[in-house]
Amino acid sequence: MTRSTLQISIREFCECEGVSEGLVVTVVEHGIARPLSGREAPEWVFDTASAGWIRKAIRLRQDLEVDWVAVAMVIDLLQQREQLQLENSRLRQRLRRFAMEE
Amino acid sequence: MEFKDYYQILGVDPAAEAKDIKAAYRKLARKYHPDVNPEAGAEDKFKEVAEAYEVLKDTNRRAEYDELRKYGGRPGGGFEPPPGWQSSAGAGAGHFDGDFSDFFNSIFGGGFEPGASRSRRGFGVRGQDIEIEMPIFLEETLTETSKPIHYQIPVYENGQVRQIRKSLKVKIPAGVTEGERIRLKGQGAPGEGDAPAGDLYLHIRLVPHPLFDVEGHNLLVTVPIAPWEAALGARVTVPTLDGRINLTIAPDSQAGQKLRVKGKGLVSKTGRGDLYAVLKVVMPKQSGGEARALWQQLADKTAFDPRAEWSKQA
Repeated sequence: MTRSTLQISIREFCECEGVSEGLVVTVVEHGIARPLSGREAPEWVFDTASAGWIRKAIRLRQDLEVDWVAVAMVIDLLQQREQLQLENSRLRQRLRRFAMEE
Repeated sequence: MEFKDYYQILGVDPAAEAKDIKAAYRKLARKYHPDVNPEAGAEDKFKEVAEAYEVLKDTNRRAEYDELRKYGGRPGGGFEPPPGWQSSAGAGAGHFDGDFSDFFNSIFGGGFEPGASRSRRGFGVRGQDIEIEMPIFLEETLTETSKPIHYQIPVYENGQVRQIRKSLKVKIPAGVTEGERIRLKGQGAPGEGDAPAGDLYLHIRLVPHPLFDVEGHNLLVTVPIAPWEAALGARVTVPTLDGRINLTIAPDSQAGQKLRVKGKGLVSKTGRGDLYAVLKVVMPKQSGGEARALWQQLADKTAFDPRAEWSKQA
């Protein structure tokens, strides 16, 4: 049985992505993601969802050549879109139970 | 190999200034970036645009590319770099991130391996992370379950990519939610040499249930009832994710009314959510004879205007 986890430490994240701890700190300082636990940056642990957003933020900043404020805004909107899409598909499913079959 | 017209890809004139190239790239990158645009094909388009910009933004690389363009730049025609071609602006002039086309690599790619993943950006030759979709039934989220999974990992051998099939048994923790990613350390593509393997991510997708709808950690079940059950009250048996329960419907219940069944929802970190039974009044398909007469009696004897709200506004 393979051990599965819903977490990743900042050290592992930096190793995986080939980025510096400082970069992750910057992303966190812009409110793009929040560590799950750990007081100081070297002790930070993220859930895999937050790690995913940090990854996206770093890619977007590099690929689109935009500043962190813009990246944070894009991430905010992407999260909102994801939320709305999920809500929308759930509401549609519920609606189908009440509406008549066509 | 096909010659790539980087100017055409960015939609700029071959004589375009650096700032126009930059603007064109930014516009297309925003449009096709795979983190922003979920449509199929967006990622390939983005890669193409990024590759074009990687070449055209650098004065030296652009000059070399322009030379080659004169030499072999027939769009759609076959292309081979001139014999003895060696880029001075390619390898060694900084690392490239992203995986570029064979065309790019044949010109600028001294020692640059095709198909290299983004995760190798900068340094290290760690294996690629792999992500697969993991459909999970609602019933399976109640307790920790173990599931067999099968997936493919790319392995690079002598510049060739080969897919290897892998099978694993994984523990899915109780209470996983839609969109969550479970990380399996070191189960991705193998690293080069002594470098560590990448990780495997399981992207959780809750399979839509024929009976239950999900709302956060709560569940909803639609309970069809007869009009007289709504009027007189009833006791009905209602399915839950784990077994059936009896539910009391009070007299004079309304369609759409929600009855809470505590602790029969989904598992979460803070305990179990609730199940809401949503009442749906259903009419018999047809009512003839005696039933019709009874409805008529009801209509005659009941002073009820279901559209009272409307007359207030009118």
